[in-house]
Amino acid sequence: MTKDPRVTRIEDLPGPKSKEELEEMKAPYEEYCKAQFDPGNEFSKPQSLKGIRWLSTTMYIFTPHSVSNLAELGADVIKVEMPRMGDPMRHCAPFNETYLYPLHDTRPMTGTGMGFLNANPNEYHISMDYHIDDIKEAFYALVRMSDGLTQCYRPGTFDRWKQSYRYLMEINPRFISVWGGGFGYGPKVFGGSYDILGQAHAGLASVTGFHEYVGGHPTKHSNWNIDWYSGTQITFGILAAIHWREKTGLGTKIEFSQVQAATRCLGYAAPLYGRFGIVRQRWGNWDTQLCAHGIILCGKSDYPDAENPQDRLEARYAMISAFQDEDWKELCKITGMKDLYDKYKSHKERVEAEAQIEIYAALEKWAADKSRSEVVKICQDAGLLAEPVMNDREVYESTHYRERGTVRWMDDPIFGDVLQHGSYSAGLMSKTPRRLFWIWRPVGADNVKIYHELLGYPTSKIEEWYAKAWI
Amino acid sequence: MCDIIWCKKDFEGEPCNTINYLDPYCFWNWEGTINCAECGAVYYIHMIQGKMYKGPEERPGEKPDTSPLYADKPLDGYRFYGAGVEGRTRPFECLPRDIYLGVPDMVKFSIRGKPVRGHRPQPPSAGIAGSFGFDWNIKKLSPDLYEEYQQKIKNGEVTDW
Repeated sequence: MTKDPRVTRIEDLPGPKSKEELEEMKAPYEEYCKAQFDPGNEFSKPQSLKGIRWLSTTMYIFTPHSVSNLAELGADVIKVEMPRMGDPMRHCAPFNETYLYPLHDTRPMTGTGMGFLNANPNEYHISMDYHIDDIKEAFYALVRMSDGLTQCYRPGTFDRWKQSYRYLMEINPRFISVWGGGFGYGPKVFGGSYDILGQAHAGLASVTGFHEYVGGHPTKHSNWNIDWYSGTQITFGILAAIHWREKTGLGTKIEFSQVQAATRCLGYAAPLYGRFGIVRQRWGNWDTQLCAHGIILCGKSDYPDAENPQDRLEARYAMISAFQDEDWKELCKITGMKDLYDKYKSHKERVEAEAQIEIYAALEKWAADKSRSEVVKICQDAGLLAEPVMNDREVYESTHYRERGTVRWMDDPIFGDVLQHGSYSAGLMSKTPRRLFWIWRPVGADNVKIYHELLGYPTSKIEEWYAKAWI
Repeated sequence: MCDIIWCKKDFEGEPCNTINYLDPYCFWNWEGTINCAECGAVYYIHMIQGKMYKGPEERPGEKPDTSPLYADKPLDGYRFYGAGVEGRTRPFECLPRDIYLGVPDMVKFSIRGKPVRGHRPQPPSAGIAGSFGFDWNIKKLSPDLYEEYQQKIKNGEVTDW
């Protein structure tokens, strides 16, 4: 220490004394990442979209998900539902059963189905029959105080109700108005939309599943994949519109047709057709570009005594990748497919359709007396890329997901203990991570908070509207 | 789309008239014998790429290899054998467990043993929806659930994961 306390010497400060020492003191990258992302400690960090207020007059999964992305990043989202009934998704899926009660204070014996999960977290749930003229004033008041609105009605419906962009921009020029739906303007304007339509109409289902040659059909993904996917695409649009508004001060109208969403993930399908006139076909669990690079069926289940049929009968699939020449050689060696190695030495030869049919049949024959984990272990020990096809229970048990916080338990303020695998559609963010406050709230649970505390209507007015079922 | 075997054998003095459905996922490329779900007559078929290449031919006395997925009797007011009727239609391994048969299952605890509060009926003390939005005190508002939970903790049935 120097005699004069006003003099600062680097030796006296805590921390590294030289660049070399700094390098030495740096945590290993793994530790660094853990400290940066710190799953489970999201609530101590700021929220990137705090200050954005968004309205959501949406239903089912697709459009609600576009807004829940904002809510998980910190925006105040007000979900407006039909009085006493709510979003129809509450009454669907799975098994048309409801699990979390109550739906609404007039319907204590009706609940909300689990299918509603992940599509509406962190939102304030109010009810309003906004197409009634008498309640329009409250709707416009919300528009004045909000940054944007996402809606999912048939094209022109909100315009007829004087709630479309061209009406709302007159009362709030900074307003961003989003329509998400089926076809959008054009020859098929009146078509509605569902996820299956999005998968079918854009050509995604036509390239999913096995070829008819081996008993396959155009296949829809079991989950509502295109609903989640196109919802996230809308979120991109919203964030870009917010950025544009910061520069210009003006709002935007976003029109998102769900049937076009999948064209973005169809990759080379259109260019391939444009150049060669070739219509892309299905190739199921195999790959048109790489071989061997697919999912094979093994003979024995990993859990032959399990009670659950998904474990007992279906834990039999393994993903194997060995398309490079050295890997292919190794795969043929460990599986004893010497004749196939001699026959298909080059990748060009083995990626041909006929070759693939022969190769995967031989691999499945080899795996016929083995369990999935045996197949995976043999391949991994030989230095090949192989993983079991995991089911939901195994994902839940997987320490990788658990450590990264992708699957986690949350104590929902209303519904209690809920296992969540959401909150990951923006990846991990070190400074402003996504977080979950609640999974959803009952219909109209925040009516007083929004109508009274935010908009300033007296509670007597709220009671009157409530009695008339306007809210 | 799925092929069928329309069984017209005499059964109890009348034509059997049962339609046995051969679902493509099982029968797309398939050769073997199938029983009629109603009268038990055995038929041989050979299907290639979803087309009936041979059959159905009667094979009396043979043991059936499998059964149809389901069957109905359209001339008989749609009498119906669903999937998994023993001895008639094919066992369906993924039959829903009994808790999935249309009655909501009142789960009070999650698989790790912690209370799931949104079950019904909610006691009157729970108030109307949203009244306790941010602090649902189960000790005060759902005392029976709270007691059950304490018991579970004592029994070591509550885990972190």
